[in-house]
Amino acid sequence: MAYEIMAPLDGKVFQLNIKAGDKLEEDEEILAIEAMKMETPIFTPCDGTVREVRVKEGDEVAENDVLAIIDEEHIEV
Amino acid sequence: MKPYFEKMSEFGHALKKGRIKSTEENLNSIKKIEEDVADEVNRVKLAGFPEEKINARGHMTVWQRLEYLVDPGTWCPLQTLYNPMNNSEGTTNVIDGVGKISGKWAVIIGFDNKVMAGAWLPGQSENILRVTDLSKRLNIPLVWLVNCSGAKLTEQEKFYANRRGAGTPFFRHAELEQLGIPVLAGIYGTNPAGGGYQSISPTILFAHKDCNIAVGGVGIVSGMAPKGEFNLEAAEEIIEKAKQFRAKPPGSVNIHYDETGFFRYVFEDETGVLDGLKDYMKDMPAYPPKFFRVTEPKKPRFPIDDLYRLIPLNPKRVYDFDEVLARLVDSSEHMEFRPDYGPEVYAGLCKIDGFLVACLGNRQQYLGRNYPEYADYPGMGGKLYRQGLIKMNEFVTLCGRDRIPVIWLQDSSGLDVGDAAEKAELLGLAQGLVYSIQQTDVPMMMLLLRKGTASAHYLMGGPTANRHNAFTLGTAASEIYVMHGETAAVATYSRRLVKEKDAGRPLEPIIEKMNKLAREYHDKSRPLFCAKNGLVDEIVPLCDLRKYLVAFAGAAYQNPKSICPQHHMILPRIIKG
Repeated sequence: MAYEIMAPLDGKVFQLNIKAGDKLEEDEEILAIEAMKMETPIFTPCDGTVREVRVKEGDEVAENDVLAIIDEEHIEV
Repeated sequence: MKPYFEKMSEFGHALKKGRIKSTEENLNSIKKIEEDVADEVNRVKLAGFPEEKINARGHMTVWQRLEYLVDPGTWCPLQTLYNPMNNSEGTTNVIDGVGKISGKWAVIIGFDNKVMAGAWLPGQSENILRVTDLSKRLNIPLVWLVNCSGAKLTEQEKFYANRRGAGTPFFRHAELEQLGIPVLAGIYGTNPAGGGYQSISPTILFAHKDCNIAVGGVGIVSGMAPKGEFNLEAAEEIIEKAKQFRAKPPGSVNIHYDETGFFRYVFEDETGVLDGLKDYMKDMPAYPPKFFRVTEPKKPRFPIDDLYRLIPLNPKRVYDFDEVLARLVDSSEHMEFRPDYGPEVYAGLCKIDGFLVACLGNRQQYLGRNYPEYADYPGMGGKLYRQGLIKMNEFVTLCGRDRIPVIWLQDSSGLDVGDAAEKAELLGLAQGLVYSIQQTDVPMMMLLLRKGTASAHYLMGGPTANRHNAFTLGTAASEIYVMHGETAAVATYSRRLVKEKDAGRPLEPIIEKMNKLAREYHDKSRPLFCAKNGLVDEIVPLCDLRKYLVAFAGAAYQNPKSICPQHHMILPRIIKG
């Protein structure tokens, strides 16, 4: 399953910690958005791999913009 | 009231691997600051003569006395780094805190006999008044370890007189006694003049056999007849008198036990004095904990060390307040008050060590486009808006009605500003909250998680609410200022910048001043500055915070001045609906 990571608020991409292909662990911080004098960190909802990053540091984003896509890691049992 | 309190709603989540990975740097940064604070605490502990030297004279140090007196694991030090007058000794020369003696909570304070034999120093009376205020607010005994050589005479002008000077604690002792709060004193060493009043003003005096207390000591007696100047003849006379009184200082046990009877008990050994205090503490007025507990004490469901990963040191970072609270309260359970209203404020009932407490805090997240409802801009947690202020007013008022102690967890950048906020009555609601707190006569404490800023620092149970606030704790992430330093620099120099620009002059000198002011704000808002100047009562490692909450709850419920039966409480019913 792929997760679209969306901006929870309007603001500027402040800190981008990921690039395509990165392996992530659930709840890892992937970037932060600066708005209203505060920095809102965004976390990945699952273990997985970064398929695509659609923003770069300094980009202005609007609420619900897709910031990145994460492919969830499937664990075979 | 089992259905309400035995099992409340669980909240909080265990940290995931990814969060742990992302927060390593934050954890290390906080621990580094905590180490710096611990170094300063250690410096205070080592002030004055070394322990070995005091022990060689046959005495215990104040720290050794405290360790012997206080039940293991219960000591919660306060004001350790308080030194507002920047004394060269690095201390106000009293050591104080809250702890249990013989199973009962007490406020405990002792003179540091390693430093000038426990002399009065600048800032000390203010320290003592914090302690007497604490005893009054919590309605628990005050226990003194007196060992006070009197005033440091070379700096007397800084503390002897004035409205809150060195004599004021004697009036506070009398006030506590009038309120029915006992003041017990173990007395050691030589206690002349001010030290004499430190000794005589408590309720029951437990004396060591070698102690003495007196209206005046050797120094005063020797110099009682001023002659206008000193010369050789006068010096010889002083030497003779001093020798005479040194051999037999005034006010020793043979006077104040055998003659006046001021000393209720005299003990051969230093530990005997402490055993006497312990024995008396067993009988101090106190309800057994079961009288007020709503459930058995339980630990939070999540490790307290998670706080190092949940509270960002960076003051601009938002975080999940509820996750922080879930690491502090019993079973990580709560009953939240009006969760659908005033989303920037958390208000709820929780349990600490089985006792019911009320918690209020600042939620930090983005609040969405439709909040605050009165403005065309979105809200951000950490700020206070109309609904949050109304919610706190209501909640605090109901806590007063139900006699529930209040714990404020503050991290606020202030109130919303602008005409929309004025129209929404924020100024009136803010002062309304001051009124609500003032008429809510229950013990409160404040934990400054991070920012204490603007009027929010006053409004949310800060130390300025000093009839209510028992104590205020800071963390490694705490910072206190009227506004951020850069904001202050802009407010101070913006017009000047315009003027210089219009005049065609270079802007660099003004920019330099702005940067200097911003730096000063930073330096004068850090945890160590706050502790030294009394803006907080102690900087506490995150892993020890719950210990202080347990002390607060236990002390607040030990002997409360009024009671609301659990089955008469209205707040839990309002929450349940």
